[in-house]
Amino acid sequence: MSIAAAPNALRASSGCASRLWLSLQKSPSSSLFLQVASFSTTAPQCKRKTKDSNKRRGVSSLYGSGPREPLSMSNMPLPKPVEFKPKIEVDESHGLWGFFPAPGKLLLTPKETEEHGRAWEVEELRRKSWEDLHALWWKCCKERNMLATARAELLRGKLGFGEREIDSRDEEVTKTMRAIKHALTERFYTWQDAVEVARSDPEINLEGGEGQVYTPSAYEEGYDDVPAVEEADKELKEPTR
Amino acid sequence: MRPTQILSVGKYRHLKLTTKDVGRGFYKGNRTGSMGRHTKYGGYLIEWSKVRTYVVPQNLSESKLTPFVSREVRSEPGDYKGLSKGPQDPYFYVEQWKRYNGVD
Repeated sequence: MSIAAAPNALRASSGCASRLWLSLQKSPSSSLFLQVASFSTTAPQCKRKTKDSNKRRGVSSLYGSGPREPLSMSNMPLPKPVEFKPKIEVDESHGLWGFFPAPGKLLLTPKETEEHGRAWEVEELRRKSWEDLHALWWKCCKERNMLATARAELLRGKLGFGEREIDSRDEEVTKTMRAIKHALTERFYTWQDAVEVARSDPEINLEGGEGQVYTPSAYEEGYDDVPAVEEADKELKEPTR
Repeated sequence: MRPTQILSVGKYRHLKLTTKDVGRGFYKGNRTGSMGRHTKYGGYLIEWSKVRTYVVPQNLSESKLTPFVSREVRSEPGDYKGLSKGPQDPYFYVEQWKRYNGVD
């Protein structure tokens, strides 16, 4: 259904309502007359009219020739996304950074993960004090936490690499922890036996008060050479050779 | 608390434990252990002797130890010749104690 129009509205007679509006805007003289434009709700009337006979022109995203003639929106620039990065205040010294290789660093690269030394040997740990072993144990715990975080992050991202390196590093930390347990268990059993030995030792009186436990019968010359300061340092250390 | 022993051997070890596998009173562990006990009224009592306490050394951040030793450092076997139980020898322990800690 269409209604006959004023002569300058003829161009719009076959177009859509939007084009009709544009044509109305362009012709100020037409405001003098009663504006009667063709208006159609029939779908074929709204079809784009071009000289191009190819109906599927511009559909393919691979063959990007684009349309042959400019369209109504051709001179409108595409909107660009706003560059926006929220700035978040982060505490560099927060304890949760302990789960990551460094503050602000999410993951170690596989190459960095691979760069680690060997585990501690039991023999090396035998000469460490309780405090050292305690600290070392918690260092190992923190390292394993960091590796577990990295492993979870790799799995979450389905990256498909880096797990072998993490596993081998984790294995090495576990060896150290096993050695710590070995050294401490061994030390405890030795101490238990040593208490029995001390009971039968004539120089040692376990019931004696502080400073009265050990009464050396005879000084050996070499023992006197050890200065008192050095003795105090070694107080906490376990016997070594 | 550990899971019921019969469930951690044999074919049950490889099956997921459900309530249909067990009778009343069986306990499915989740490898964490309990921190208290149930009361007969349906409540739960925390037993503080069961609650885990983690003692972290105070100066952990100052410690320079790392979980790894440089591969340049070669590990050498300890010299425990002549000791009947090697490094676990109690006489050797007492001797070392006398040497370093006995006289303060």
